[in-house]
Order: sequence, then C-alpha cells, then structure tokens
Amino acid sequence: MINLSIDGKSIQVPEGTTVLRAAEQAGIDIPTLCDHPELTPYGGCRLCVVEVEGAKALQPSCTLPVSENMVVRTDTERIQEARKFVLTMIFSERNHFCPYCQVSGGDCELQNAAYGQDMTHWDLQPNWQQFPVDASHPYFILDHNRCILCRRCVRACAELVGNFTLGFEERGAKSFLVADLGVPLGESTCVSCGTCVQVCPTGAIIDRESAYIGKETEVEHNKTICVGCSIGCGIDVQTRDNRLVRIKGDWDSTINSGVICEVGRFHPVNDDGERVLTPLQKKNGELKAINWEEAFSIVTNLLNENKSKKNLAIASTRLSADDLYAFGEIFDKHLGFDVVTSTENGSTTRLVRKYSETSQNVFKGNLESIEESDCIITLDANLYDDHQVAGFFIKRSLPGGCKLISIETRETAINEITGYAVVIDKKKCGELLDFIISVSNELSKSGNQEDLAKQIGSDISKYGIDIDKLIDITKSISSSKNPMIIFGGCFAEKENAFNAMINFANHFEIISKKNSNMLCLVGGANSLASSLLRLDEEIDKCDHDLLLALIADENPTEKLLSLTENSKQMIVCSSYFNKLTSKADLILPVENWLETEGQYINLEGKIQNLSRSIESPDNVKSTAEILDQIANNVGCKLDKKNGIKEIKQAKSPVEIID
Amino acid sequence: MGKPKVASDWMAGCAGCHMSFLDIDERIVQLVELVDIRATPITDLKEPDIDGVDVGILEGGINNTSNEEQAIRMRERCKILVALGDCAVFGGVPAMRNFFTIEESLRRAYIETESTDDEGMIPKDPELCVPTRVRALHEVVPVDIFIPGCPPEADVIFYALSELAQGRMPELKDKYLHWH
Repeated sequence: MINLSIDGKSIQVPEGTTVLRAAEQAGIDIPTLCDHPELTPYGGCRLCVVEVEGAKALQPSCTLPVSENMVVRTDTERIQEARKFVLTMIFSERNHFCPYCQVSGGDCELQNAAYGQDMTHWDLQPNWQQFPVDASHPYFILDHNRCILCRRCVRACAELVGNFTLGFEERGAKSFLVADLGVPLGESTCVSCGTCVQVCPTGAIIDRESAYIGKETEVEHNKTICVGCSIGCGIDVQTRDNRLVRIKGDWDSTINSGVICEVGRFHPVNDDGERVLTPLQKKNGELKAINWEEAFSIVTNLLNENKSKKNLAIASTRLSADDLYAFGEIFDKHLGFDVVTSTENGSTTRLVRKYSETSQNVFKGNLESIEESDCIITLDANLYDDHQVAGFFIKRSLPGGCKLISIETRETAINEITGYAVVIDKKKCGELLDFIISVSNELSKSGNQEDLAKQIGSDISKYGIDIDKLIDITKSISSSKNPMIIFGGCFAEKENAFNAMINFANHFEIISKKNSNMLCLVGGANSLASSLLRLDEEIDKCDHDLLLALIADENPTEKLLSLTENSKQMIVCSSYFNKLTSKADLILPVENWLETEGQYINLEGKIQNLSRSIESPDNVKSTAEILDQIANNVGCKLDKKNGIKEIKQAKSPVEIID
Repeated sequence: MGKPKVASDWMAGCAGCHMSFLDIDERIVQLVELVDIRATPITDLKEPDIDGVDVGILEGGINNTSNEEQAIRMRERCKILVALGDCAVFGGVPAMRNFFTIEESLRRAYIETESTDDEGMIPKDPELCVPTRVRALHEVVPVDIFIPGCPPEADVIFYALSELAQGRMPELKDKYLHWH
C-alpha cells in the first residue's frame, strides 16, 4: 500500500493506482475527457492535470501512478488556468457548434467540462477548416468536426470488443480517426456494436435514430436485460413519454459489463414492424377486428373442437420462465396437445438437456472463463451473427496471447483473426474431432511431425484442411493450460457431433474430474428454460389440425413457417404482423419484450429479471393474462409464478444460479 | 444620478435573444424601475445615445462592414458591453458561412438559389455594406460580459440585467451558464 496526500487528505491505496483513481476513492473529483473507467488510461486530453510537489510541470493524473509520500494538489489557480487553456485549445482545434448539436445541453462531456470551469466564451476561434462527416454507416454518423481526438472509441473498439476497426492516422494537427486503413465506416470491418457511440464524449459519433429525441439527462432510464439471445446482457433502456429512445449497455452489469451488440443496441430502435393492436378474426379471407371476449370464446371453441386431434403448440424462447411454465401446463399437461414445443424446437438444447440426465451440471464454463482461458475452441459457434458479445469477449483476449481455434461450418470473419480457423462440412464435424484425437495420440507416440504429416496426409484430404495446420491445432490444444470449448450449431444439434465433442473434451481434459470448461451457447433468451421445462420436442412436418403459436415478438424463421404451413387452423398470439399472422385464423395481440417482465436464465445458468420499460398499447394483453384466461376457460388450474421452481427441479446441463 | 441606461442592438442574429429577453414577461416592469431602457431594435430609438449609455447589449455575430460599425459604435458609447447569445459570443450559426469563401456564399445566395430567376446578380452598389468573415463580437471590440446560449434563457438574461442594474457584475455559472 502507498501513502500519499491529495488536497491535504491522507490516503492509502494499492501500488499501481493512478492519482486520478486515488483521488476518486478519496471523494475528490478531477475533471477528465479522454479517461473512461472501462478503458486503459490514455493521457491525451490533459484536462486532469494536477500539481505534484517536486515536479516542475503539471502532471496528468490519469496516467500517473501514486508514489510514497506524494503530495498532490488538484485545484490551485495554476491548475484552473491550465484547464481553461486546455479546453480553449480543444475547442479551437476543430469546429464545435453547440446551438444545434444533438448532445448539447447535458450529454456533451466537453461542454460540461467547459461549464465546470465557468467558461462563458472562447478566447480563440474554431479551426474554420471543414472536417468531413461520414454518414456511410446505417446506424450512426461520424462527424469529425466534433472529434476531440480522445481515442476513447479506438480503445473501446480494441479493448472492449476486440474488433480493432477504429484507429488514428497522421500526427499532430492532422491526426484523424479512421476505420481500417481509411475507408468509410459503412464499408469497414465494423461490426455495428455501437460501443464507440456509447463512449464518445462529444457529438462526434451520433446514433441516428435517437438524435434529438431525448437527451440522456431528460429521459427515463430502466436497467433491465436484453432478450436478443441467451447471454442476457445488462442494458439501460431509455424511454420518453412511453416511447423507446435508445438502448445502452449497462456498465454495472456483471454479465457483460456494458458491452452489447448490434442486436441489442440498434435492432429494437430501428424496428419498424407493424403492431397488432386488437384481436383479429379471419372471415372470408379478410381480417376483422373483434373484442377480447369474442376472441377468447373462439379460442375455447377451437380447443374444444380439436380436442383429440393432432394439435401443435409453439412458444417463443423470448417468453419469461413463468409464461413458458404456464404454457406447458395448459397445452401439454392439461390439454394433451400432440407436440408442445418452442419456436426453435429445442434444436439448440435438447441434446445437452438429455445428456444432463446422466451427467448433471456438466458444462461449467461461463463468460468469465473466456478471460482466464489460454486456448479457446469454438465449435460451430457462429459468433458473428448471434451471441456476438461472447465473440467480443473472445476477440479481446486474443492480443493477450490467448489462442483461438475455430471449427465452423461456414466462412465467417473469424478466419481473419486466427490462423487456426477450419471450415468443415456439417456432416463431418464429429469425424474431424475424432481425427484430431487420433492425431494427438500419434503425436504423443512418435512426436515426429514430418512423419506424421506424411502418414495422415492422405486421410486429411477429405476434410480439405492443411495437414500442418491441423497438427498445429492439435499441439496448441495439448499444450494449453486452461483450454475452453464454446459450442453451438451442429455440435449441439447432431448426436454424433455432440458425442464426438464429449470424447474430444474428455481426451484433452477439458472435461475432467475437477472441472468442465465448456460453454453451450444455447439459442434464445430462454431457450435453456424452455428445454428444462421439456418444451423442446421436434415438430414432425405434418398436417396439424390446430396450431397455437405463442410467438410474441419473435420473427418466425423460414423453418418454422414451413413446419407450420399445413396446419388446418391457426391461432397466433403475436406482437407484430408477420408471415405467420398472415396465415392465422385468429390473431391475438400480445406485449413485446419492452412491455413485459419476467425471469430469464442465461447460457451460464444465471437467473435474471427482465423489467418493464414501456406500457403496452391499450388493447394489447400480456402473455400471462392471455394464458391465464385460456387456462380459466379450459378448467386448468395454474400455479402461477412457478417457472423457476419447476426448472430448478429438472436436471440441467448448467447449474442454475440465483 | 438617474437610473443606469441600457441600449441594445442586433447584428447577424435571428432576434431570438431579444425574444428570450422579452420572455422575462412581467419582470420587465421590475426591470424598468431599475434601469432606463433606451435604444433597442424593437423600440422607437434605434441608436445608442451619443452621450453614452451604461450598458450596451449586442446580439448576433458580425458578418459585414455595417455590423462592424454597429459594434464599434456601441463599444464607444457604452461603459459595459454585453455579448448576448451564442452568435455574439462565439459566432454562432451564421458563422458556418466561414467554411466557404465570400464569393461562393454570394453566388449561392444571389445566383444559384433555385427560386432566383435567370437575371440573378450579386449586388454591388458602393452604398451597400461589404460582407466579411463572420466573427464573434470579441474579435472586433473588447467585450466585458459574455452571455452564451441559443438563446440564453429568460432567467439568465433577467439575472444578468438585474445584477448590472444594481451595480454588480453578473457571475454566470451553474444554472445561469448554458451554451445550447
């Protein structure tokens, strides 16, 4: 521990703490611009300068480590003048126009810093050279006139997301933010996560949809979770007058620490789906609005008519645990529908759920394990489309020396960030893993790589992979101290691939007596929960008599549409008009995820709460209300709020944690 | 002794700051008990008194030689000069014209605009003022008080004027300081 004094206060902090953080701990506020608690300090803006006894020049406190008996002053006249000067320099470097800027009036850290120094004007004029505006990106705009060169976006793109798209070119007054080697942002390797938008202190990076709609200081904030996938990132949903303004990552969330992806940040705000606002009945090919009484009586009639026929009930994996439980109780236990399952038919979870019958809590890896691992093996994980945040966690640990071995069934950008990427046909997934095991066995026997290469070279041709690469991959896994497997896709869906993977994991001691460093990506927000409630049957394509689809705000996939297109009669509970509602005989409007609340279990087994951010439109009911009424009408006694209880009783592939 | 005299004028501005001033509503009755409002663009007198006023207020940036004259005249005739609003303090919205040359701006305004008939021409009469680079007030004359805002809120203007009326220099900070 180091002892020092700041503004006369004696403080003790661990060695390595910066003066800025030490001051924070002592309750002393030092203004900053380029600093951000989630990013490594940069020391570029010089706003945080302090006086250190014995040092001639003012020192930037964000990068200065404390030393024994250091004496620091943070608020002398010299410092005040220096801060005003720094701000004047920053304002005059480019072109900062407050009157019409989207963040002016509360959300601009540069403006707030000027207010903090009681600045009423600039002594120097702006640059008056026009800097470009890059509006090529679909979600946000980059206005270089407002950039203060703080590099927060560069650091965020690198350290939080591991994408490394943003960087700086040139030097001095010509320093300039660029994407890749100088291409428009919309044509770059940007993955649209929007972390740069979130950390930008000025209006240099502006989210299009929320601009001018509501400043962060003026809107309602609701800390809740995203239900875009099984990770369940913590988010801050910002609304104004019951309307969604923007979504930001919640820095305090223990799941994602503020990092979210395009799906969670931009899709909801850019959603232009048409809401279903009233129950609708199809009569003579046309949809007619009816009231809820009529709607429920139609439901009851249809259920009665089709009592012992071939009926199918489907629920979205975006529904809460209690809703899924109620759904199962009504349609499976009480009404005995033929197939009661989820929109994904358990494809991402059924196999692992069955495996856990004999091997509970078998997958012990979680998102934190990614940071601790020195060799991550992704198996058909497809981290550029879904579960992107897991992909970010992996990518950002690569510079630290972690190896990434990726075995995918299609080409993705993963091939550009690791030399150990393999693309393999879906049907050969399991075989490849078996092959790697045999290579590993051979290597431990003979150890001579060249001989081995000649020996197995011909066998490998059917996989279309370079033999040396495969040997390297095998060696990397064997020599790693803490390997981890993250799997999805065919490795979670196909039995032979799954079994091969378990063998593989056992062989390389990723599953051992002590531990199991495996993480199943699962699918949607509550896919695991649906599976543990046994809502994971496969739908056999046939002519069902009655289909009841509780699809809520999910967008039906082509696969789902093809499996259900021959149903004779359809009841669809949906938030939006979509391809499924267009075939329905009865459509019931239901709340979307922003308007509902409930419990969700993420891929790590952690239980989280989704809380309501918006009141639903008047005539739209919650899933719970609808299921309640149906249960009532068919005489099913529902023990409400039983979802988590029921789930905890099931044998689970991951430990369920409160 | 008499009440302190106040005069105002506007240059390259939208008059919004004067409208915000009027938003002090009934407090103007309080104000005129403390000060003698002389020339303003919205009252009868148009130029500050030749023998001077105590407080001169200017809204808007300086974008031509006529504005320059206004600024210099006001500075000569007042003891305390106030720059009112972002245009006077910073250059403001009109200052965006500085990204283009004056020739480009004049051509766009008088010849290229879509609603101009083919006979568009740039005015050249020697009696007309000459456009210049758009400048903040303090780039032309020394300024004593800066009241930023677009426009500054009525409360801010009232606070500043009532402080001046009582012989004090207003301190703009916290809720009285905003640049938007």
